[in-house]
Amino acid sequence: MARDLGELNREEYARYKDDVKKDGKGFFPFAMWHDTVMSFVVVCLIAALAAIWYFDADGVEPGLLGPWYTEPADPGTTDFIPRPDWYFYFLFYLLRIFEWPETVFIATVGIPTICLILLLGLPFYDRRRERRPTHRPVAMVAAVLTILSMAVLTWKGATAKEALGSELLLLVPSWAQEQGFADDPQAVAGAELFAQTGCLNCHIYLGQGSGSLGAPDLSEVGQTNDTEYFVRYLANPAAFGNNVMGSYSYLGQDNLEALGAFLEASKGGE
Amino acid sequence: MAAKSKRQQMVDLAVLAPLDWIDERTAFVRGTKWFLFRNVPRDISWGQTLGSAALTAFIVQTLTGAILALYYKPSAAIDPVTGKPVAYSSIEAITDELTLGWLVRGMHRWGASVFIILLFLHMGRVFLFGAYKYPRELNWITGVLILALGMLMGFTGYLLPWDQTAYWATVVGINLNGTAPFAGPWLAQFLATGPEIGTNTLPLYYGLHMLLLPGALIALIFVHIYLVTRLGVASPPWSTEAAGRERPAAVPPAGTRAGLVRGSGGD
Repeated sequence: MARDLGELNREEYARYKDDVKKDGKGFFPFAMWHDTVMSFVVVCLIAALAAIWYFDADGVEPGLLGPWYTEPADPGTTDFIPRPDWYFYFLFYLLRIFEWPETVFIATVGIPTICLILLLGLPFYDRRRERRPTHRPVAMVAAVLTILSMAVLTWKGATAKEALGSELLLLVPSWAQEQGFADDPQAVAGAELFAQTGCLNCHIYLGQGSGSLGAPDLSEVGQTNDTEYFVRYLANPAAFGNNVMGSYSYLGQDNLEALGAFLEASKGGE
Repeated sequence: MAAKSKRQQMVDLAVLAPLDWIDERTAFVRGTKWFLFRNVPRDISWGQTLGSAALTAFIVQTLTGAILALYYKPSAAIDPVTGKPVAYSSIEAITDELTLGWLVRGMHRWGASVFIILLFLHMGRVFLFGAYKYPRELNWITGVLILALGMLMGFTGYLLPWDQTAYWATVVGINLNGTAPFAGPWLAQFLATGPEIGTNTLPLYYGLHMLLLPGALIALIFVHIYLVTRLGVASPPWSTEAAGRERPAAVPPAGTRAGLVRGSGGD
């Protein structure tokens, strides 16, 4: 007669307890010895990382493991490269994949939530008694795929640079040249802000950026409106019927005016 | 009963009597014995040390974190002496001036990464062994919660130095939470203590990082270790001497069927 799963599980566990009792080794000292050695290694590793980090860096000067600290937090500056700690890189990179606003929540909340639910529920949907990896092909393939995708996303997040402000900044002089605003310091400052604040994550400007997702090309936007209009628009895109773009009012009035001047100067070049 | 030596009486009085006194009221000694003097399967080895390694990293975090808490000041106000935010200046002082402060802060900083890595390795080992199956389902669930809380610890701790990296990484993190349907705006508002990160944000993260999350984490770790001790560690599933393995049905001695062996009849 086929016995039910619960009964088989309980029998196996009863055998386990019996085997361990009769045939096992003492946790103390045998297993505890391994644990102690391992713990010692862990503490040494942490102290070694701390030492390498400290002695290779100097203040804000980064060493092998980064600086002691960067400059003090300043909400007013924009020449930053926002980087989470490494174990959030996968999330950071998912954001690059789902970058268009309507899909962003899939990356930021959807996928992590699904992963967490799948992890928590694992013992309840994988109910077979089989524990040998060679006899659990589905579990093993799923594990390998998960590890691979986490590793790839973490790696891509660590090395991602397509939309990093500091690199787009290098393009500003060529933009100024092409659009003819090189002698307008306010427009140049605006262009630098434009490069640094992630506008090119959605928009295209003179062939740079990712406009394939639907946000307009801004190379010739200066033909349509003036600085004053752009400042109002940036401060509150929703008031212009744009519910996709967020407000940039946190940049402050001066920065918004610089951006506005830059956009007004962007007439498409020669 | 033979008379005890003077020395034995001293030991009784100084060590055993107090221990008995405590044990009678708390079962502490019995509990410790239950934890230490239990058997584990004979085929377990280094793979099963990852959990205790993660525990060690967590203890390093608790100790270094407690020391850091004595010197760190969770305030974004500008320090009139240094002209920098108070929190930032206190981090500078811990790193540059406090005796061995760099080691404490460095170990806390890197211990966080080591803790997360060990949690992932431990989880991978448990998955490979199928050790999350009956009866250890709750070990797995508490473990996943420990991982999730560990990552939240990383997120909230990252802001505390109040430098550019910390600030902007947290801005991004808050914006990520803000994209959640329904709860998103509320969550972002809560995490930034307002529409934007402000002077109240740092105390919030400090409180979460120092009090709420570690409290929850320590409670979960206790439950996790209690369950591991109670249910036992699983053998490697490929081991030929795995505890709980199926035994082949006993082969009846030749001749049983024919009733030639004495006492075998009538089955």
